[in-house]
Amino acid sequence: MLSADDRLSAGDLTIEAVQATPSSPLGLLWSGKSNDRHPGKILGPYFAKMLDRAGAQRVPIELHFETLDYLNSSTITAIIQVIQDARAKAVKLVIVFDPARRWQKLSFDALKVFARDDGLMELRPTNGER
Amino acid sequence: MTDFAFNIDVPVRSEWSNVDLLITSVENCFAAMFADIDGCHTIAMVTGELLENAIKYGDWTRGHRVFRLHVSGRDKEATVSVENPISPDNKAIEDLFATLRWLDGFASPDEAYRARLLEVANAPRGGGMSKLGLVRIAYEANCRLRAEKEHDAVRVTAQLIL
Repeated sequence: MLSADDRLSAGDLTIEAVQATPSSPLGLLWSGKSNDRHPGKILGPYFAKMLDRAGAQRVPIELHFETLDYLNSSTITAIIQVIQDARAKAVKLVIVFDPARRWQKLSFDALKVFARDDGLMELRPTNGER
Repeated sequence: MTDFAFNIDVPVRSEWSNVDLLITSVENCFAAMFADIDGCHTIAMVTGELLENAIKYGDWTRGHRVFRLHVSGRDKEATVSVENPISPDNKAIEDLFATLRWLDGFASPDEAYRARLLEVANAPRGGGMSKLGLVRIAYEANCRLRAEKEHDAVRVTAQLIL
C-alpha cells in the first residue's frame, strides 16, 4: 500500500505516487517545477525507495511528466541516473511525456539514446491525458 | 524601434531563489509580447540555465554578490546574456570555453546533446560539473552560444531565432 511518505514535495516540485493494485505499474506523477540546485540529493533517495518497491513487486515504474512545467539540466542528470539504476535493478521504466509541449518533446525524445534491446526503458508520448 | 523591440537589463543578487523569479518574469514578459507559448518557455529555459551557471561558477567572495541579466531583441530574434564576476584561477572558465569549442565540433546541437547525455551517464556520480546546461541550451533553443572574458568577469550570450 502506498502511504503519505510515498509523496515527494520539495520546493516547487511534487511527485505523487499512484498504484491501483500491487500488480499495477507504479506511477510517479511529476508536477510543478524541478529547479533545485542539487535535485539528485532529493530525487536519488526517493527513487531508490521506489525502485526497490517496484522491484519487489515486479512491476514497471511510470514517470509521468505531462504536467511538469519546468526542469533544469541538473534534473535531467538525475533522471539519467534513475534510468541507469532502474536498468541495474531490472525494473522497467516508462517515461511518459506530452509531445505537444515542445520542451517536453525535445527533452524526453533525446533520452532515446538510453534505449536498449532489453525493453527496460520505454518512452511514451501522450496527448497529456492520463 | 519596431513594435516588438524589447530590452530587459537587471542586476541580480546571486541567490538561487532568484533563478525561478527571473525565469517566471522573463517567460511572462514574452507571453505578453508573443502568442508562441513554446517560444516563451524556450527563452525562459535559456535564461534559467545561464543564471544557474552564473550562480554556480561566479566569484561571490568579493563585491556586492550581484551579476547582470540582459535580454533583448526584436520580432523574431532574441539575445539572452548573463555576465558574472570570476576568479582568475577558476577552472570553470576553462571548462566553459572548452564546452563551446566541443559544441562547434558537432554537425548539429542535437548530435552534441545526445553525445553529452551519454557522457553524463558514463561520468562518476557526484563528479562535479556535467556542463549539460549549455549543451541543452544549444539543442532545445537551437541557438548560437558565445562567451567573452574581460578581466574579472565572463559574459555568456545565447542568440535565438524565435
